[in-house]
Amino acid sequence: MLLQLNDIFKWVNSGGQRIFLLKDINLEVEEGEFISVMGPSGSGKSTLLNVIGMLDTFDEGEYNFLDESVHSLKEKHRSNLYKQYIGFVFQSYHLLDELTVKENLEMPLIYKKIKGSERKAMVADMLDRFNIVGKKDLFPAQLSGGQQQLVGVARALIANPKLILADEPTGNLNSTQGEEIMELFKQLNDEGVTIIQVTHSEKNAEYGSRIINLLDGRMV
Amino acid sequence: MMNFLKLAFRRLFRKGEHSLTRIVSLTAGLAFGILLLSEVLYYFSYDSFYPDADRIYLVHENFNMDKSSNEMESYPRVSGAVAPGLKAEVPGIEAATRLNPLGDHMIYTDDFNSYDAKVSLADEHLFDVLPVPMISGNPEEILKSPMTCMVSQEIADNMGGNVMGKVIGIKAYPDKKLTIAGVFETLPENTNYEYDVLISMVSTDQFTWDGTENWMGNDRYYACVKLSPGATPSDLAPAVRAMQVKHQDIEKLEEENQGVVLEYSFKPIKQIKVDNVKDMILILATIALSVLFVSLMNYILLTMGTLIARAKSSAIHKTCGADTKNLQRMILSETVVVFAISIVGALLLIWGLKPLAEAQWGHDLTSVLNPYVIAPLVVLILFLVFVTSYFPGRFFSRIPVATAFRSYQQKKSKWKLVLLSFQFVGATFILTVLVFVTLQYNNMKNADHGYTAEGVYYVSTEGMDGNKIGMVLNELRAMPDIEMVGLGDDDPVSGASGNNVLSQDGKRELFNVADFYEVDSNYLSILGIHVDEGEGFSSNQAVPNDVVISKRGAELLKLNNGWTDGVVGKQIALTQHESTTIRGVFPDFVIQSISNPDMRPSVFFYQPEEKFEELKIEDPSERFNIMIKASNGVQEGIMDRIRTVVNLGFPHEDTVVKSLETEQLNAYQGQKGFRNAMIIGNAIILLVTIIGLLGYTFNESTRRRKELAIRRISGATLSDILKSFISDLEYVAVPAVVLGLLGAWLTLDKWMQNFAFKMDLHWAIFAVCSLFILLMIAVIATINYTRTANRNPVDALRQE
Repeated sequence: MLLQLNDIFKWVNSGGQRIFLLKDINLEVEEGEFISVMGPSGSGKSTLLNVIGMLDTFDEGEYNFLDESVHSLKEKHRSNLYKQYIGFVFQSYHLLDELTVKENLEMPLIYKKIKGSERKAMVADMLDRFNIVGKKDLFPAQLSGGQQQLVGVARALIANPKLILADEPTGNLNSTQGEEIMELFKQLNDEGVTIIQVTHSEKNAEYGSRIINLLDGRMV
Repeated sequence: MMNFLKLAFRRLFRKGEHSLTRIVSLTAGLAFGILLLSEVLYYFSYDSFYPDADRIYLVHENFNMDKSSNEMESYPRVSGAVAPGLKAEVPGIEAATRLNPLGDHMIYTDDFNSYDAKVSLADEHLFDVLPVPMISGNPEEILKSPMTCMVSQEIADNMGGNVMGKVIGIKAYPDKKLTIAGVFETLPENTNYEYDVLISMVSTDQFTWDGTENWMGNDRYYACVKLSPGATPSDLAPAVRAMQVKHQDIEKLEEENQGVVLEYSFKPIKQIKVDNVKDMILILATIALSVLFVSLMNYILLTMGTLIARAKSSAIHKTCGADTKNLQRMILSETVVVFAISIVGALLLIWGLKPLAEAQWGHDLTSVLNPYVIAPLVVLILFLVFVTSYFPGRFFSRIPVATAFRSYQQKKSKWKLVLLSFQFVGATFILTVLVFVTLQYNNMKNADHGYTAEGVYYVSTEGMDGNKIGMVLNELRAMPDIEMVGLGDDDPVSGASGNNVLSQDGKRELFNVADFYEVDSNYLSILGIHVDEGEGFSSNQAVPNDVVISKRGAELLKLNNGWTDGVVGKQIALTQHESTTIRGVFPDFVIQSISNPDMRPSVFFYQPEEKFEELKIEDPSERFNIMIKASNGVQEGIMDRIRTVVNLGFPHEDTVVKSLETEQLNAYQGQKGFRNAMIIGNAIILLVTIIGLLGYTFNESTRRRKELAIRRISGATLSDILKSFISDLEYVAVPAVVLGLLGAWLTLDKWMQNFAFKMDLHWAIFAVCSLFILLMIAVIATINYTRTANRNPVDALRQE
């Protein structure tokens, strides 16, 4: 078992009322799965992804990741767990504008405290693997959307995560670019990487081995 | 960390980072803050360079002048025999020495080259207490040998390097010759005891009255002692008292005077300068810290504004695995980069202001480059870097990822108003202080000093050939633009030494007077001092040694002697003078300066011109002033013309002509410098506050653009919107301004204590200053908010 969410609740208080963002979420994810999370806007898809990615907290419930109780971990341990096992891909790519492609790829390795020489080798491998060696010294603004997303995926993968969390990864891409990215995910999943993606697209959702639907913070 | 530094450098040039604005305001604040604080720390570094400085003390004598109170007056000099006595008879004193400064002099070598030097007599134990590395010569031997001296390396270099065995003369003592037998390393400027030429103390009688063996009186010797390790001044008290009993017959004196007559205390040598300038330290430190504080608040305010705009980048770093510490380090790196650039900018700015600063501080700016100044400054800057990075870093690292990826807006803006209010406090404080300091300076400078300084020039006869004085006076009187020429021992700006007026039976000392000693028949007329009771010295009736006394002195005489019929014609006796007849009474005038007035009554004694000449011929080291009154309206080139004529009487043609008006103005240099510092500080604080206000109003109008648009769509006029936004600011500004005024009042009240004549701390001036600040806030806010309020509201809502 890669992760397990038990009775997860997340809410905000507004005007004396409790508004639930996630309500009674129970989810088990095995290693190597490819899950698509679907639902209308405001249904809690991104919130769920952030909770799974340990980037957002929840108010009630239990979250176990590789037998570690995330809900009771201190920030430092949670951060270490995240660094070691999780990679994020976003709809808006979220590359750091002031860094080149090479430096964007290097960033997760720096936070993982990997030595400079090793970092260089890993970045070179990744550039090679994604066929973007020629773009390594360009800044994000100098790349097309598809190329940026490719870098985004490469950055998510560089630290060899067990889990990739993708929040509408093709949302800003044209259909051809989107298809390329989805094929890449499929290939990664075949190599053993677990993927959880949030998507509005039925077509993209079908790349997953399981589809989870959310409505008003609940799994339906 | 290197990666963060690289990132920080790149961010500098990104749009929306306000890097230039932040660097400019920080540079200005740091430049002024560092300059002022380095001066404050410089005072604390005085004499710290001596080995074992913590064990070195200056002996003070404490005596009671006013028998009606128990308060003791402390004086930093003692009689000549005290230092050797302490060494010989007080256990716990490891070494003791005496310095007897002769003052600033012009010295000559045989080749007639002249050098300005501070000259002092010192005994052979000087370097046991206050050691300075020797370049050549044995200090103990030199300071034991009559008419032998040693010079500083600087003087030696100026003389050509090899000075050993050279013979030098001092302008003021034309008939004395000294042989240079040693060279010492030039003293740093941060010392209380400056000297360029050290003459052996056994030569004292060649230059002044020899009181080296005196136990009482002639207290003109600095006595420095070095205590044994572990000894404290309080340990020495019984042995010091025993020494006094043995040599000063102190018990008998105390019995006669019915109280304490004389006690000795020991002041740490490192504390002396600090005690002398403690008010200045307080004020400089207050201003420096205010400016630094305001510019740091502004830096934090602007930085936080930029961090809100880059909330998304915080989230991206987190998704790349950054934890709180990583993000805090990132902000620390950015702060370090901005600070490093600002510090370089500040140092360049200080370098640019070097001539101005050196003129104000009176020492070379490079002399503050010592560990006692640099170390605390470095610690302070590190602290500032920490503080200015900690809060923004903490804020940046806590932005929630989920919201950061959406449109992150700061909901609460109260903290910004708090930061801004600190700037308002600083701006109000410094503006108000500046206005009062300027007014006080102008009042003092333009005040009636009770004598005429305009058109009055004077020349010291130090080094002049006595036989030529008559000729010089005649030549001066023959000049068409000279109205009057006279002679006198002292001038009102330099001040006067003191003597005591004795009771009629000669047994009691009634009061101390500022004794201007002898003047000729023209002196009082040149200075425009009118004798309005009795007559001056210009009449034919004037008798040598007759005295005129100031009104305050006359009143004291009447009171003490029970005279009801005035003082003119009465006989009085003063210490150091024969019995004399009071010839007249003149109104009191300002002695020295209004900022540092000598409030004692004053006296002038009459001495005919011929007698002055006669004494100078008899004793070439005798010195007095030639006073010259120029005809009305003559200014251009007059000093050069006087110099040309008076040079006839100087063998080296090195006449120094001084203008009494300029000297009077120079007496207010301290206040002028303080005012100038305030002007610069004020400009910086206002600049920083305006930058802060612009930043705040810009950020607020962006943050609240939706609210602005809705208000506009709902029919609010521009003035409605401005009223609402500006009143938010003024609610914070008003208490901040009141706080600033309070701080200014407390500082000014303390500063004004330095002056005998002080201006009123009138409420109207405080009111005008506060109105100025409040108006400035309203104007800047109006300009910035108007720009936003006039935008198309639909655009703002579309962006939302």
